Amino acid sequence: MNIEQLLLAVLTYGCLYSVMTVSLNLQYARGGMINFGTVAYFAAGAYAYAIFTQEPPSGLDQYAFGFNSPWWVGFIAAGVAAFLFAIVTGWPTLRLRGEYLALTTFAFAEVLHSIFLNERRIGNGSVGLSNVNRPDFSWIGMSDNYGFAGAAILLLMFTAFLCHRILASPYGRAIDAVRDDETAAEAVGKDIKRLRFEIFVISAVPVGFAGALYAMITTLVSPGLFTAEVTFFVWIALILGGEHTIKGAIFGTLALILFEEVVRSFNFETVRSAEIAASVEHIMTGIIFIMILRWQPFDRFTKKEAVQ
Amino acid sequence: MTDDILVVNKLTKQFGGLKAVGGQGGLSFNVKRGALVGLIGPNGAGKSTTFNLISGVLEPSSGSVALNGKDLSNIKSSEIASHGLGRTFQTPRAFTSLSVLENVMVGAGSTGERLTSVFSGSWRTDEADIKSKAIEVLQQVGLDDRIGDIVANLSGGELRMLEVARQLIRDPEILLLDEPTAGVDPSLQGKLSSILVDLHNEGRTLIVVEHNLHFLLSIADVVIVLQNGELLAEGTPNEIKNDQRVISAYLGDEYAA
Amino acid sequence: MTLLAQYFVTGIVTGCFLILATIGFSLTRRVEGFLNIAHAELLGVSAFVTWGLNVKAAWPFLPSAIFAIIFTAVVGLVVGRLFYDPIRKLGPAVLLISSVGVAYVIGGSVDALVGTGIRTLNIPLATTYRFFGVRITDYQMIVVALAALTGLSLAVFMSKTKIGLAIGAMADNPELAASRGIDILQTSRATWLLSSGLAGLAGVVLALIATLSTDLAFHQILQILAVAILAGLGSLYSVMLAGLIVGIAMDMSVFWIPAGYRPLIAFAVVILVLLVRPEGLSGRKSK
Repeated sequence: MNIEQLLLAVLTYGCLYSVMTVSLNLQYARGGMINFGTVAYFAAGAYAYAIFTQEPPSGLDQYAFGFNSPWWVGFIAAGVAAFLFAIVTGWPTLRLRGEYLALTTFAFAEVLHSIFLNERRIGNGSVGLSNVNRPDFSWIGMSDNYGFAGAAILLLMFTAFLCHRILASPYGRAIDAVRDDETAAEAVGKDIKRLRFEIFVISAVPVGFAGALYAMITTLVSPGLFTAEVTFFVWIALILGGEHTIKGAIFGTLALILFEEVVRSFNFETVRSAEIAASVEHIMTGIIFIMILRWQPFDRFTKKEAVQ
Repeated sequence: MTDDILVVNKLTKQFGGLKAVGGQGGLSFNVKRGALVGLIGPNGAGKSTTFNLISGVLEPSSGSVALNGKDLSNIKSSEIASHGLGRTFQTPRAFTSLSVLENVMVGAGSTGERLTSVFSGSWRTDEADIKSKAIEVLQQVGLDDRIGDIVANLSGGELRMLEVARQLIRDPEILLLDEPTAGVDPSLQGKLSSILVDLHNEGRTLIVVEHNLHFLLSIADVVIVLQNGELLAEGTPNEIKNDQRVISAYLGDEYAA
Repeated sequence: MTLLAQYFVTGIVTGCFLILATIGFSLTRRVEGFLNIAHAELLGVSAFVTWGLNVKAAWPFLPSAIFAIIFTAVVGLVVGRLFYDPIRKLGPAVLLISSVGVAYVIGGSVDALVGTGIRTLNIPLATTYRFFGVRITDYQMIVVALAALTGLSLAVFMSKTKIGLAIGAMADNPELAASRGIDILQTSRATWLLSSGLAGLAGVVLALIATLSTDLAFHQILQILAVAILAGLGSLYSVMLAGLIVGIAMDMSVFWIPAGYRPLIAFAVVILVLLVRPEGLSGRKSK
């Protein structure tokens, strides 16, 4: 792999995953909600995109639906799917806090994973849906690789703008207050249920869009791509960013993706050495994660610059 | 009837098997509009629990509270706050990630707290008003020199004043203050009492839980005495000071006139 | 009917394995106050140490298993002291998130040393017995016996020995325990050793009844969580009851729904319990 390809891959996947990290930043660092099921909204988006854009089933296909829609319809469907799944998972879990919320969202994500795996009518079960349609960039004179890198950057910019707009408004002030002290926030008339629910749902939508983009880039959606590892990856990236700001979330993700892509770009002589490299990558990721949690105290975001 | 802003009727609250508020018939009292009511009693008498029941932080086991004739049963505490009831807490509560100014501004219900207006940006026009109002109330409670500070730098007494300011920006009709002098430097208590008297003169109804009786008896119109969750006595400060039951249960002789 | 009885019996075996896998996890949760996601990885450590000694070093099974259990207990203690103790004051949510990192480190280490592929122990093939048409193997019976024995001896240990009583006191009320002169640090170390040793035992059992692959450990965590959440913060007995309920529910579900959905039962338990009765079977609220 040459340098150009490496950088392009880092940029594309870095921006794609940053969309999730930035959303998680809104949910967790600002909203105070620990969602351990991030991958579910990603998967919901990817599957929705694939189902809406693929051709109706024929021959040996096991899937039941294919709407043959243009890519942008699939893209919107991806956002809607994530939105709906966030409502389904967010509403019953509204009164849960901390580790209990983490566990329930984690379990919801595993349920969705299990359904994709076992219900062949959705997406061919474990085989998944291949040859997913993707938009064509030739009309603006770009190769696919550059096109998708650009699309990932645009999606990230949209997400960052959305989050910034929310956080810089009185709305952001209100959710900060709710996270800091729910009882005191209620005493000044804040409807904490509404605020928490809105943040939970709205931050799932960009994750769904990211799922659609991921499906376009890989042209494949299968349950194996959407495991809890994705959730853990996003969490590690967010913690790595450390600052609990949009910028921090993006830098953390880019750094982690760069690290992974560099490790993967080495040519390994044997399968065994590639395996060892992958394991060492896991170990190092884990150690970095633990070290950051330990050395960068969690109350960092409480020392936010005072606003005059 | 119309003169009573708050009607507490046969209120009880049980925790497990223990009755924290309301003895035999429950706790009942009325508060007149514009009154400055002192709520006193020994530790564990149920004063803070009564505040929590009125403000909707706790659900009563039985009985009801009505604000301006409106029954508050099954109404969320955030909504009760929106109906014009403000309160502070026994242990001061602050939003630690917000600055002093933001802590007050967040008290004002901005239109920008709706997602729809976040994106239209229509809240920006209100924001300047909210800010100048916040500065005004911070001046009123004497925190104007701490405006840009982080709350971690405030003393216990300053945190209490911050809580009051956060409520004042909401312009509440009735304000429940839980031990406003606790942790406040004695030299500042005179200022505090003049703030309370000012609020009273503005026509607001105040209910004040306080252990500092010199402070409270000097400003209250009406005093309600609780003991074991029940109403022991109700009257003007002078009546209370000379009430034998109150003296033996709580006051001792030093306040008797 | 025989088929249903068969699923029921298999469910008991699954439940007994889950009991062994969850007891240690539950103990950590009660004493250290957080959900240790990395607990499942310790099962993997123990299973592969057993395999390494038994197959690669050609030790007999029993010494391999005993060594694996002790080794896992020590690993668990070291991990607890090194990774969790310094951040305990940051609260259960941060500890939970950190334990994901710890799971990466342990899982990655096992991967690096062992590599992918499917493995089995060098032990005699299972013998199948039939009772009224219901099949059960000797290894399955060992699992049930081990679970019963472990539960019993743990109950005695917790109620009769000084260190067991100290662990119980710390689980119920750490401040009170400290004020009554219980050495918190020592008790915490004993808890790590005990809970990790129990994970080691569960890992050995896993090696006995399952074919080993390096991702095996991770797949246990959701079932462990399901049992622990269903049990709540209560005693050993609620864990045993919860283990049997989840095990039997998972295996018997196969009678009515496609086998692929079997793990779903565990997730459904987590979701239902947390939504309906977060304190679990024991009815004790979290501190």
